[in-house]
Amino acid sequence: MKKTKLKLAILASVAIAAILSGCANSGPETSKEVNVYSARHYEVDKQAYIDFEEKTGIKVNIIEGKAPELLERMKREGADTQADLFITADMGNIYQAIDGDMTQELTSKILNENIPEKLRGENNEWIALTKRARVIVYDKEKVNPNSLSTYAALTDNEWKGKLLVRGADSVYNQSLLASFIATEGEEYAKMWAQGIVDNLARDPKGNDRDQVKAIAAGEGLVTLVNTYYLGQMLNSADPEEVKAAQKVGIFFPENTHVNISGMVLSKYSANKANAILLAEYLTSVKVQEAYTAQNYEYPANKNVEPSELLKTWGELKPQDLDLSDLGRNNKKAVELFARAAWK
Amino acid sequence: MLKRKPGFYGIASTIIAILLIFPFGDLILQLFQKPNENWMEIKEFLLRDYIGNTLILVFFTALFSLLIGTTLAWLISAYDFPLRKFFRWALILPLAIPSYILAYTYASMSSYTGVVQVTLRSWLGTGLDQRYFNIMSMPGAIFILSISLMPYIYMILRAFMEGQSASLIESGRMLGKSHLGIFFKVVVPVSRAALVAGTSLVVLEVLSDYGVASYFGIQTFSTAIFRSWFSLGDIDSAIRLAAILMVFVLALLFLEKILRGRRSYSMSNTKHRPLSRKELKGPMAFLATSYAGIILLLGFLIPVGQLIYWAVLTYKDTLGNEAWILGLNTLGIAVISAIIILVFGIIIANYARLKNNLLSKIYSKISLLGYSIPGAVVAITMILFFIHLDRWLAPLYRIILPGAPALVLSMSLVLLVSAYVLRFLAVGFQSIDGGFERIGRKYHDASKMLGHGEASTFFRVDLPMLKPALLSGFSLVCIDIIKELPLALILRPFNFNTLATKVFDYANDERIPEASVHSLLIVLIVAIGILILNKTLDKEKNNEHKN
Repeated sequence: MKKTKLKLAILASVAIAAILSGCANSGPETSKEVNVYSARHYEVDKQAYIDFEEKTGIKVNIIEGKAPELLERMKREGADTQADLFITADMGNIYQAIDGDMTQELTSKILNENIPEKLRGENNEWIALTKRARVIVYDKEKVNPNSLSTYAALTDNEWKGKLLVRGADSVYNQSLLASFIATEGEEYAKMWAQGIVDNLARDPKGNDRDQVKAIAAGEGLVTLVNTYYLGQMLNSADPEEVKAAQKVGIFFPENTHVNISGMVLSKYSANKANAILLAEYLTSVKVQEAYTAQNYEYPANKNVEPSELLKTWGELKPQDLDLSDLGRNNKKAVELFARAAWK
Repeated sequence: MLKRKPGFYGIASTIIAILLIFPFGDLILQLFQKPNENWMEIKEFLLRDYIGNTLILVFFTALFSLLIGTTLAWLISAYDFPLRKFFRWALILPLAIPSYILAYTYASMSSYTGVVQVTLRSWLGTGLDQRYFNIMSMPGAIFILSISLMPYIYMILRAFMEGQSASLIESGRMLGKSHLGIFFKVVVPVSRAALVAGTSLVVLEVLSDYGVASYFGIQTFSTAIFRSWFSLGDIDSAIRLAAILMVFVLALLFLEKILRGRRSYSMSNTKHRPLSRKELKGPMAFLATSYAGIILLLGFLIPVGQLIYWAVLTYKDTLGNEAWILGLNTLGIAVISAIIILVFGIIIANYARLKNNLLSKIYSKISLLGYSIPGAVVAITMILFFIHLDRWLAPLYRIILPGAPALVLSMSLVLLVSAYVLRFLAVGFQSIDGGFERIGRKYHDASKMLGHGEASTFFRVDLPMLKPALLSGFSLVCIDIIKELPLALILRPFNFNTLATKVFDYANDERIPEASVHSLLIVLIVAIGILILNKTLDKEKNNEHKN
């Protein structure tokens, strides 16, 4: 019997400790902390949180995860959520938080100074952290960049059997198509998706890096990739990845599709002041420079230049659209992909 | 027969069963709502694919892991050949690599920039047709899952053959049966229960696999549930898919019971002679060693070698002090959850043994439910449940600590531990149930007859005999939890990370080489666990033989 009592005692103390740790994490009056739900898991981000803690003494508590799962969690927690900031890549995800009425205005003088209006939502319901360009990537040996022009031109007959793309599940592709729906209309977007599918060299599969590798392997000539993946590959610890990335060129089409990673302030944030301080810090020159230098993303802060590597790729001429449309048209885009049999 | 009032086990089992079923309340209620448009579309266009792909994946994975697992177990327990002793424990090692890590690793290795193609290119000096290197496909997924799940069958069967079937196999030999004859006419029928138990473990693992299928782009039930829930925000369809999956699993478990049968081949004796092994010579010995060697290479040595190579390239950037904290977090949560699971498992399994009525059978089945549902569904189920629970308990929190927030349990480790208990109770229960089955109830009844109470009987009679089963259950649960990904990912409280979530962080950013250090730490911890388990079980068995 002694053994069971001991076990029970251990279990009970573990349970109490766990509960207390839950409490301790969330005392509302000790507002020396800020709670972040983040779908960005980069080292730069973590370093930024550490620096922020040192600078301000405000503890940053983080739950990381995939965006849709964090969103679902926030939705379920409703008014009781302890999340202050939700940080994620892709406008589609940000839009869901706004559409689900989980956000409030994220405004401050500094934020408005750092981030241009186009990279903030209406009433500052979202704030961009970085820009990400989805560009045309081609085989340097076999493709003359002069033969490339627009996303639409990829549906021409000359590319039959030569295109590579990622699956329709990729939110990057969904946002790309959503941007066409917003700028050119649904009919155009539908034709475009169909045209791409007709020109494919193989069924869509793999992630962004796999598309680059497939070009290096000669499976196709042209693909669509987010630029920071190329930056990561060129700086990879694996020498073979570097070699593969060196075989491809980057082409910025007219009206390049630009998505963002960004943040929203939870509607029920209990540490609003701290959340704004953190948001301001993440848009500061120091952190924005780290985003572009170490993570190869385009900075959202208008006073920060893209890193040298990014500049060598050429100049970004982004689409002109309300970024919220990427989120608004996401469902439609998923549907159009399905209808075009884009796997 | 000793008639008793509803005893401790009955009451405790009922409470546990209710705790296990309760979180699913929301899901079950949802099922009775009118289906939405999206569901109609899924039913009409996609369901057939989901079912087809899932069946193909399950069938071939089960088939190949059965083939590999049984032949290896048979070789190791019935024959002597070079390196047999080494292979005997080493062949369990593939279990140490989580299947999603195996998938990342093999996919990277066979990709254009991977070691396979790079080497071939430098030999042949030409480009290669990528079609031959397409591991991210259905056959690839079957390969990954078979090789990583095979040890379940190997382990269960080897233990059975070494311990139980000696006399029957030896009789077969004396009657002049051939190797194959003994294998098919004696070993397979006698070890049917063990085979079925191992196979059903494999099937359940495949059904709930998300990592491999989603990485390889295969539409299974599990990935479809994720997609409906998270990409389309359609909980309703996700729940319907999960429900279909659960029905499927229940049917399977029912089938298992039938296949296992109640016939036992006189195993109530705890004393067993070890099987005397036949020595293989010449080409046969070479074949046996090569076969075991190839499986070990594919399932463990090659992927681990690749991980080590990547780790050498990347450790400067990825191995920090944090790795220790992650390791301790991982171990701590696994041990706590495993202890709770064992307590629950003992109660339910003992109730089933002592009563063996309809209710106890239902409880046993309930304990298996969580294992059959994809991790992410368990995760969301637990979030929903704990948020409800927290809101209900909020007044109490405020009495204890004025101004306390409403969400306390759901923001603490209690949430994650509960989810692990729900998800992996089946693993612990199966071990304990198997242990009780071997013991039978003769000793228990004798002890009761001699005037010992239920508790005293349990601690003095049952528990000592149950020790090997408890140990193996404990290790298996820990191994599963250390490898587990989606639950840890979705349910971790603030600032709590494990090795697996760290691996995911890197892999999700398509940085596979950077994920290698933490992957290796998982493999190392699990491998040590496996080896300790193996040693302890062997010791236990030797003691039995001596007695």
